[in-house]
Amino acid sequence: MGKKADASRPLTPGEEGSTTPPPLAGHPPALHRMATVGNAPTMTSTGGAFDIVETYHRLLAEDPDLTMPVAAIEALIEMLMHSQAVTVMETLDLVKAQSDYLKSRIPNSISLSAGTDLFQRYMISSLKPSSTGNFETVRQHLLTNGRLFVTRAKDARQRIAAYGKHFIRDGSVVMTQGGSRVVGNLLSKAADAGASGGNVRFKVIYVMNEGRNAECKAIVSLLRAKGVPVATISEGAVGYSMGKVDLIIVGAEGVVENGGIISRMGTYQIAQLAKAAGKPFYVTAESHKFVRLYPLGQYDLGIEQKVIDFHTEDDDILSVEEKKFADRTPTKDERMDYFENTQIAKTQTSSAAGAVDFTPPALISALITESGVLTPSAVSEELISVWY
Amino acid sequence: MPASDPPSAAEPAESTVGQEPSNANDTHKDAAKEAPKLSGAELKKQAKAEKAARRAQALADKPSGGTASPGQPSPISKGGEGAKGAKTQQKRTPATNVETRNLPVRGASQTTPLPQIPAKEDKTVEFFRHLYKPRRTTLTGAAKEVHPAVQALGLQMSSYTICGSCARLVATLQAFKRVIESYTTPPGNTLTRHLTSHVLSPQIEYLASCRPLSISMGNAIRWLKLEISKVDIYLPDAEAKKGLCEAIDVFIRERVTFADAVIAKSTASKIKDGDVILTYAKSSLVQKAIVQAFEEGKKFRVIVVDSRPLHEGKHLARSLAELGIEVKYCLINGLSHNIKDATKVLLGAHAMMSNGRLFSRVGTALVAMEANGADKPVIVLCETIKFTERVALDSIVHNEIAPADELVIPGGNLAAWRDVKKLQLCNPMYDVTPAEYLQMIVTESGNVPPTSVPVLHRLGNENQ
Repeated sequence: MGKKADASRPLTPGEEGSTTPPPLAGHPPALHRMATVGNAPTMTSTGGAFDIVETYHRLLAEDPDLTMPVAAIEALIEMLMHSQAVTVMETLDLVKAQSDYLKSRIPNSISLSAGTDLFQRYMISSLKPSSTGNFETVRQHLLTNGRLFVTRAKDARQRIAAYGKHFIRDGSVVMTQGGSRVVGNLLSKAADAGASGGNVRFKVIYVMNEGRNAECKAIVSLLRAKGVPVATISEGAVGYSMGKVDLIIVGAEGVVENGGIISRMGTYQIAQLAKAAGKPFYVTAESHKFVRLYPLGQYDLGIEQKVIDFHTEDDDILSVEEKKFADRTPTKDERMDYFENTQIAKTQTSSAAGAVDFTPPALISALITESGVLTPSAVSEELISVWY
Repeated sequence: MPASDPPSAAEPAESTVGQEPSNANDTHKDAAKEAPKLSGAELKKQAKAEKAARRAQALADKPSGGTASPGQPSPISKGGEGAKGAKTQQKRTPATNVETRNLPVRGASQTTPLPQIPAKEDKTVEFFRHLYKPRRTTLTGAAKEVHPAVQALGLQMSSYTICGSCARLVATLQAFKRVIESYTTPPGNTLTRHLTSHVLSPQIEYLASCRPLSISMGNAIRWLKLEISKVDIYLPDAEAKKGLCEAIDVFIRERVTFADAVIAKSTASKIKDGDVILTYAKSSLVQKAIVQAFEEGKKFRVIVVDSRPLHEGKHLARSLAELGIEVKYCLINGLSHNIKDATKVLLGAHAMMSNGRLFSRVGTALVAMEANGADKPVIVLCETIKFTERVALDSIVHNEIAPADELVIPGGNLAAWRDVKKLQLCNPMYDVTPAEYLQMIVTESGNVPPTSVPVLHRLGNENQ
């Protein structure tokens, strides 16, 4: 029974404030000794130089349809293929250390941690010593099943679209936001249904996000190509437009334990306006985005976000250090560094664009997942059944 | 307050004599007034009055606890009883007018009803009338089967020496261990069939007569009974007893000791530097969590909100301050001001209901409501042993009524409240906090929203 293991599980003080969930129930204590976050764990057994962070970025770049948790899982599987760990313990240790390292290197690791946690959980259950004695067969089994998981995760989006398209009725006006691929998929599926003889004609109000114009525009033009009338509005016009809207559908980066979601900055305010106007607010999310995280509010996400940044000077882009550097005439050998260094202007915009906020469960009408349409409270039920 | 000094044997008699005739006169007068008119409304009123009288009569006729509705001065024949109840309950300075009233509740159960004038004014509050239960404060009249360890425990519970849902649960199980150890199966019986019904039941009954069983105690007792029923009939006594005692030890360790440690740790991890933790009354679990966070080197402040009459928060505030934590202590009337400073609210629980509502010390709902109004997260710390499948919509159907005299300040304006016509005092022990006010429940099996209470409860029961 899991209770005992839960009760005795060690909690390292290091996880305070990080998105790393508490150690898994049933983990042997040995798992924690390698978790040195920040340093690349030495993979002496791998032979070749395998960098999980690089693999993760490569996977994301290769396949634009890939979500972060799935990319993390795929990176871990790739890592396992390279590894020559020969015992269960070693493998678990390795996966844990590598996921921690990966998480420490990605600025917003919430979504990603859902994938690594799920994979670790899955490994523990399938690598139980009680199963077949031969470690190598278990490992092979794990690798093939891991692949299966990745393909399944991709199918999930189609199933969500199949569930979700019924929410869009004829004549309804849908408001959406951000470049969520699931939402884009769902809307285009609904549009397809309308085009193929159905009578679903709907309009879309698309809330444009400054930081993500490219993603938003891609989806907007996709929908317009399918004959869906799309209006694009700025974030400031959400309240104004709410009266014309029938329902809101957004995507999520992570679904947390209490059924709330972590999503792109701006989702929370839309949810609040929707609540005030009494409009249903739906969230589409694959169930691999369920994270073991329980935020109590906006500032309890376990990640550092520089959204609110007080200044007394009008240096809107550059910090004091950077300004000093920028105002100076570069010396000859510094010149390359100076002109190539795009980092200076980038830092702040990227942090604002990647920022997320937390939408509490009370504002969410339902979550559309591949395993059905869930109420926010059903999420915690689902998570409990996975984790205990 | 007069009730607190050891009442001499004469007092109760005096008070009843002094009080009742006037009441009787009142009712007579009322009846006389109403009789001649008999308009529709009057008739209704009359019927109602009759019904009330009948009810009171029925109450008085009950063999054991008839007179024990705490509102009525219980005629105590042995002065010792009242004295004990008063002493253990709260220390109060003796008041001036001693003979006005008598200590009501404790010890009332075993006294036989004296012939009384039935029309005495009922001092119980109507909504809560079904909850008034006498509390036993002496051993007199206890069933002879009750084990000495349980006898002592019962008295400790009724005097709040052992207080708090979990402390009572652990103490009860320990006492039951002693009971099981000293048990021998009578010839012609089996332990499985004999122990629960013939030995355990009287103990439980006795404990319940001292103070109503807490929900966690109910859960544990149910578990113990199940455990006994699972004992093999052919197992020798000694082995069966050893097995049961071990099972009890494991139960306490898993469901309380370890659970507490885990909850304290995960709550401490929620406390960040610069936090201001507001808590209400005293929960051992909240205390553990705060101490844990402090020992981890977190820098935070604590605000302890407290209320009359038990002032449990004082103990918490003192023990935290002694550790070197910055503590602010205020009564509940300073809540709305202090809630603004807080960043998190930690609450203990008596029980978690299946509809996600929190059943806890009276005043908790108020704190949670204020916190919700000020947009502060409310975190409940609760072991899963305190979860129950029952639901609570209000704090009236299920509650515990403590003696109303605990509310009265000795020598204060209310000291003679029993003589004031139509004045009733109500002292409930618990209230129910709506689930919407709770952000998170920290349990040993993880942090869950209030809506997941039934899920965890179900899982916990399946595992047993």
